[in-house]
Amino acid sequence: MIADIFTMARKELMEFRDQLLRLRRGGLSALIVLLMLGIFTPLQMGPLWLTSPLMLAYWPLLSSGMVSTLIADAFAGERERHTLETLLASRLSDTSILLGKVLAAILYGLLFTFANITVGIIAINLKHFGQGIQAPPLMHIAYMLVLVTLACSTLAGIGVFISLKAATVRQAQQTLGIIMMVMFIGPVLFFQFLDSEGRVSLANKLTTLGTARMVGWATAVLFTASLMLIVMAMARFRRGKLTLD
Amino acid sequence: MSRIAIQADGLVRDFGPIRALDHLSFEVPAGIVFGFLGPNGAGKTTAIRTFLGLVEPSAGSARVLGFDTRREGGQIRERSGALLEHHGLYERLTAEQNLDFAGRIWRMSSGDRRARIRELLEQFGLWDRRLEAAGKWSRGMKQKLAVARAVFHRPQLVFLDEPTAGLDPVASAALREDLAALATGQGVTVFLTTHNLVEAERLCDLVGVIRRGRLAALGPPSSLRPNDSPVLRVTGTGIDQAIATEAAALPGVVSASLVHGALEVRLADGTRPAALVAMLVERGVGIDEVRRVRQSLEETFLELVNDPADGSGRAEESR
Repeated sequence: MIADIFTMARKELMEFRDQLLRLRRGGLSALIVLLMLGIFTPLQMGPLWLTSPLMLAYWPLLSSGMVSTLIADAFAGERERHTLETLLASRLSDTSILLGKVLAAILYGLLFTFANITVGIIAINLKHFGQGIQAPPLMHIAYMLVLVTLACSTLAGIGVFISLKAATVRQAQQTLGIIMMVMFIGPVLFFQFLDSEGRVSLANKLTTLGTARMVGWATAVLFTASLMLIVMAMARFRRGKLTLD
Repeated sequence: MSRIAIQADGLVRDFGPIRALDHLSFEVPAGIVFGFLGPNGAGKTTAIRTFLGLVEPSAGSARVLGFDTRREGGQIRERSGALLEHHGLYERLTAEQNLDFAGRIWRMSSGDRRARIRELLEQFGLWDRRLEAAGKWSRGMKQKLAVARAVFHRPQLVFLDEPTAGLDPVASAALREDLAALATGQGVTVFLTTHNLVEAERLCDLVGVIRRGRLAALGPPSSLRPNDSPVLRVTGTGIDQAIATEAAALPGVVSASLVHGALEVRLADGTRPAALVAMLVERGVGIDEVRRVRQSLEETFLELVNDPADGSGRAEESR
């Protein structure tokens, strides 16, 4: 089962790598994002870019955004390119196919974050050459890995769920885009509607909570959400129905 | 391995009001090439999907390689290969990567995968272009690659839905040879659907004709055609329109006409040609040959699938 999941994930990443190498759609946008987030932003922010707790929210959000391009394609793309039925006719189990696609999305999100942070660290160290090695704290990196993994798996769960039903990749991307907009803008709007007293109170609560506890809460929420979404997607995965779709 | 590769027993599959498979029953012995013929919408693709355990029958049952399609679809897919309606290749990946993915799915070792890739790509004449993305290839090349993928893991049973569609005659003939070799040399059972009746006749040991989800005929291609053809073809000298008219007037002759200088006579059922030959000799015809014109498989096929009541096939095939 594990080997099958990796086989599936490997194929997904190989297809996506080809897209990246040809600088088409996702590839070009990934390159632009790398230049912006991995070089421009760190040079502007300086060493704070490496240590700010805001980055713990920043990278999970960005990486899950990038993952959306891959995951929308998961089943809708296979259906659109007429490869789904052949895949379903193989010996791979439903779980292996689905989890393989989720794993590919998570790995892509992690790779994206790792690439940006590595380039950012190099850029900051080159700018501040001679001031000692600048790097994010180890605990910070650990938090980031956990949050990015869970944010990507949550988004992959939503994406797979949508992609299973969508007739085309475009339809899946549009639906996923709307959901992501609600997810990302929702908290900002909520904050806007609070009066100044409420905002101060919320900010105080978050500050007193501390980074470790906030990460703990976020981990619990994201883990539960991603687990539920993947279970729901597996319940939706019906080989017979997908074949006839 | 079971001696019967496929056993369908009263298979029924309904799609709403449309009955795609209608009490389909037949057996395919292991190690042969079985041709499944039928017009568009006859139920061929639904039958393959059912045998692969992808679609559940509404009624009846089927066993493939000894496994029940309803409950043991995974076991069937584990032991089968399939080239379905679409070639199903990943067009962004190279030919080599496509086959490697197939090998990984079936858990073949790295060395075995490499050797098999080379063996099959060389056999199909695609080795030199193995590093090109499959999407850049012609339809015929893709079809060959898809066949290579279907047999890559050396399955016991291969389902091929129109394998030679889009191939030129030379490539089709080469593929036919490869498929025949697969069945005879490696004992693989090949279940193929085709519209190409010449292909079915040359390649298949057993042919099933399906019409409106029902089996219209089953047997070796030669047995489907009546041996005792009612049409006689007489060649020789002195054959003209007057002879044809006189022949048509003989008792037991349905029709007689001149076709490219030869006399073609359709006899009524059970009529022997002796009276016709005697008349021709009497009229001074120099007979070179008198032979029964065997019905082609195409004519047999058209006879079997022709149903004035329903006209063309139904739209099931697109499901």
